[in-house]
Amino acid sequence: MATSTAVQPRRAVKASQKRKLMIEAIAVLAVVLLLLFVIPALLTGFRINLLGRFLALAIVALGIDLIWGFTGLLSLGHGIFFALGGYAFAMYLELNTLGEGELPEFFGLYGVTELPWFWQPFHSFPFTLVAIWLIPAIVAGLLGYLVFRNRIRGVYFSILTQAALVVFFNFFNGQQKLINGTNGLKTSTSIFMGQQVGGPEMRTFFYGATVLFLVLAYVLCRWLTSGRFGRMLIAIRDDENRVRFTGYDPTAFKVLVFAVSGAIAGIAGALYTVQSGIVSPQFMDIAFSIEMVIWVAVGGRATLVGAILGAVLVNMARSLLSEKFPDVWLFFQGALFLIVVTALPDGIIGWGRRQFGATVSSALGLAPAHIPYADGTEPEPDSLPDPPQLAEK
Amino acid sequence: MALSRNPTLFPIRPNWLKNNLPLLPLHATPKEPLVSTKVLDIQDVTVSFDGFKALNNLNFTMDEGELRVIIGPNGAGKTTFLDVITGKVKPTEGAAYFKGQDLRRYKEHQIARLGIGRKFQTPRVYLNLSPRENLELSCNREKNVFSTLFKTTPPAEKRTVGGLLETIGLDHKADIPAALLSHGEKQWLEIGMLVAQSPDLLLVDEPVAGLTDEETEQTGNLLLSLAESHSIVVIEHDMEFVRQIARQVTVLHQGTVLCEGTMDQVQNDPRVIEVYLGKETSLTPEQMLLLRIAATMAWADDNFAPIQQEVILDRLSRKFAHAPEEQASLRDDLKNLLAKEIPLEELVPQLSTPAQREDALMLSYEVISSNEINHTEAVVYQQLLNLLNLPPETVSRLEAAALDELARWR
Repeated sequence: MATSTAVQPRRAVKASQKRKLMIEAIAVLAVVLLLLFVIPALLTGFRINLLGRFLALAIVALGIDLIWGFTGLLSLGHGIFFALGGYAFAMYLELNTLGEGELPEFFGLYGVTELPWFWQPFHSFPFTLVAIWLIPAIVAGLLGYLVFRNRIRGVYFSILTQAALVVFFNFFNGQQKLINGTNGLKTSTSIFMGQQVGGPEMRTFFYGATVLFLVLAYVLCRWLTSGRFGRMLIAIRDDENRVRFTGYDPTAFKVLVFAVSGAIAGIAGALYTVQSGIVSPQFMDIAFSIEMVIWVAVGGRATLVGAILGAVLVNMARSLLSEKFPDVWLFFQGALFLIVVTALPDGIIGWGRRQFGATVSSALGLAPAHIPYADGTEPEPDSLPDPPQLAEK
Repeated sequence: MALSRNPTLFPIRPNWLKNNLPLLPLHATPKEPLVSTKVLDIQDVTVSFDGFKALNNLNFTMDEGELRVIIGPNGAGKTTFLDVITGKVKPTEGAAYFKGQDLRRYKEHQIARLGIGRKFQTPRVYLNLSPRENLELSCNREKNVFSTLFKTTPPAEKRTVGGLLETIGLDHKADIPAALLSHGEKQWLEIGMLVAQSPDLLLVDEPVAGLTDEETEQTGNLLLSLAESHSIVVIEHDMEFVRQIARQVTVLHQGTVLCEGTMDQVQNDPRVIEVYLGKETSLTPEQMLLLRIAATMAWADDNFAPIQQEVILDRLSRKFAHAPEEQASLRDDLKNLLAKEIPLEELVPQLSTPAQREDALMLSYEVISSNEINHTEAVVYQQLLNLLNLPPETVSRLEAAALDELARWR
C-alpha cells in the first residue's frame, strides 16, 4: 500500500522522461543533418569556414558549461587547454609537411639544428590524436588536483586559473626556439592526408569533423550531467560541505570533471586551429578566455544547448558587426554582458523556458515542468492542519 | 534525586509517521546497548584558534544507543564540539574516538563513511535537486567517483528512499526542487538524508530553530523514533524542546563540560543558572525548584503576564539584588530557562520538606493572584493543591499570607 502511492506518479515521470529523450535525439539528428547538408548548400565557402570555427568554439563552451554551469567552478583559464590542443595538432601538421630529415622553417631563424625532444612523438598521427585531448586533460587534472585538494573555491579558483593562463601565455610567447614564440604555428599551407589544410576539400572535411565532434561532446556532457554523477555535480555546486559530510570526496569529482572539460577544450582548440590557419599564444589571451565564459552566460548556464547557442550567436554577431562597424564590437560585447547579467540571469535558454516552457512541453505531450513560485513565496506545507478549522471544532 | 522518567510520556508519533517500517533495513534489529563499547569517547580535547580556546580539556563519553542533548550558552563551544567529531576541526590536544577508532586520522568524508552523520544548524540540502535525488545521493553505498558515474541506483536503495520519503512526510513532494520546500520540510529532508546515510551516530545541530510549535513537536517525535535504532547527539537552545526529547543532558560552558544529568538535575543546578544568566547566584537547588513551580503556575494559562513575571523577578531580585536593567535581561533569560508546561507531577515530588512545600504554595498563589485568577489557572492551582497534599487550615493561612505579601509589594 505504501509503495503503490509513491510509485504511480514516478512511472508517469519515467515515461515522460523517455519521451523527452526521444524528442531530444530526433532534434539533435535534425540539427546535424541541417548543418551537414542544408547549410553548406546555402552558404559560400568563406561563411561555412566561419561557421565551422564558431562550432569549434561551441565545443569549448560545452566544456565551460560542464564545470561552471553544473559544478559551479568559474574557470578563466580554458584558453590553456584550448591552445594546448591547437598546438598539438599544429605540431603534427608541421612535421607531416616536411620531407625526410628536414626541420620546420622557423627553427632556422633561431639557429636550432635539431628537433626538440618533445616534438619527436608528433611524427605519429595516432599519438597526436590522443595528445590533442590527453595533454590538456592531464594539465587540467594536475592543476585541478592542486587547487581542489587545498579547498580553493569561488573567486580564488577563478583568479588562480587566470594566473595559470598568464604563466602559460608568457611561456609560449617567449619560447621562439621551441615553438616559434609569439608568431605561433601556421597550418594553412601544411599537408594533411595528402591535401593542403587551407584548401577547399580539407575545409569541408574539417567542417564535417567539427559537427561530428560537437555532437560527440554534447552526448558526453549530456551523459555526464544526467544520472547520479550529474546530480552529484549539482550537489557540489549547491553545497560542497554537505557533500563532504555525506561521505563523498568532492575533490575527486571536481578533478575528473575539470579534466574532462580540459579535454573537450583541447579538441575544440585543434579543430579551431586548422580552420583558422594558425595557432599562436593569442589563444591564451586573457580576454579570449573571459569571452568563452560570456558565451555560456548568454546562452544559459547549466543548459548544454544554451552553451552551444551562446557561442554561435555571439560569434556570429561579432563577425557581422565588425564587418559593418569595425570599432563597435567591444562596446557591444560589454553591453551584451551587462544585459545578460541584469536582465537575463539564466541566459537565452532560461528566459525561453520561463516564457514558453509550459506551452512547448504540453504541445509535445510531456509532463508539465514545475514552475517555481513567481513571487518567491514558499508554498505552505500542507501536512499541517488548517488553524481556523480546528478553532471551529 | 533523579526521577525515573516514564517512557510512555513519548508514545505520540506524528500522523505522517504512520508506517511502522524500520527506518532502514540495515538497522532492522535494534542494537543491544553495550556498556563496554563507547560510541563516542572524547578525551581531554582542546581546540585553540590563535590562542582562543574554543574547547578546553573537554571530556565526553556516550554509550551506544544513547540520545544525548547538549545545551550551553552562546560561545560555549557546542558547534566546535561537533566540528571535532566530524573532522572539520582537528583537536589541538587530546583525542576523539568513535567506536575505538581515532578520528584524528580521517578526513571529513572518511569519517562520514565510518558512520557519523551530521545535520547542520541551518537546513543544508541540495536546493536544485528534488527530495528524492537528495536522498538517493545520501543513500548511495559506493561513494567513489567511478561507481557514481557508471552504476545506477540499485532497486533496494530506491525502496529505502521511497520509505524514507514517507517517514519524513515528503512523498507527495518527492519530485519538485527542494528549493520550493518550507523551512520545516527542509529540516526534515536533511534529517532524512542523515538517516539515508545509515550512520550509527547522528549529530543534530539545533533541529528546531525557526520551526512552528507543531513542527517542533513533530521533529521531536521523529528524533525519538530515530533514537530507537541510532545513537544521537542533539544540540539545542529551545528548553521546551530539550524537555520533550532529553533523557541525558550535558551542559557545556567555556569549552568544558559543566555538568551532566537528567533534565531536572541540570535545571535545578545553580551553576547552570549561573552560566545562563552570567551572574553569581546564591540560589540553592531547592529555591530554584520553587521558582520553577511558580513559573509553571504563571504559564498555566499560556500567558506569562508581565505582572506575574514581576512577582517572580521580585523574588529573584531579592536574591540577586541587582540594578533594574540587569533584571530586564534576566527576565528574558528566565523566560527561556523557566520553560512552560513542565508537568507539575514531575516537579512537586522533588520537594523534600514540608517547609518547601509551603513555600511553593505561597509563591504560586502569589503569582496567580497578581492578576485576576482565570479558570485555567484555577484548575492548575487545584492540581497543585492535590499534589502538595497540605492540611486545609495551612492552605488558607498561606493564601492569606501570600495576599498580604502581594499587597505590601504593591
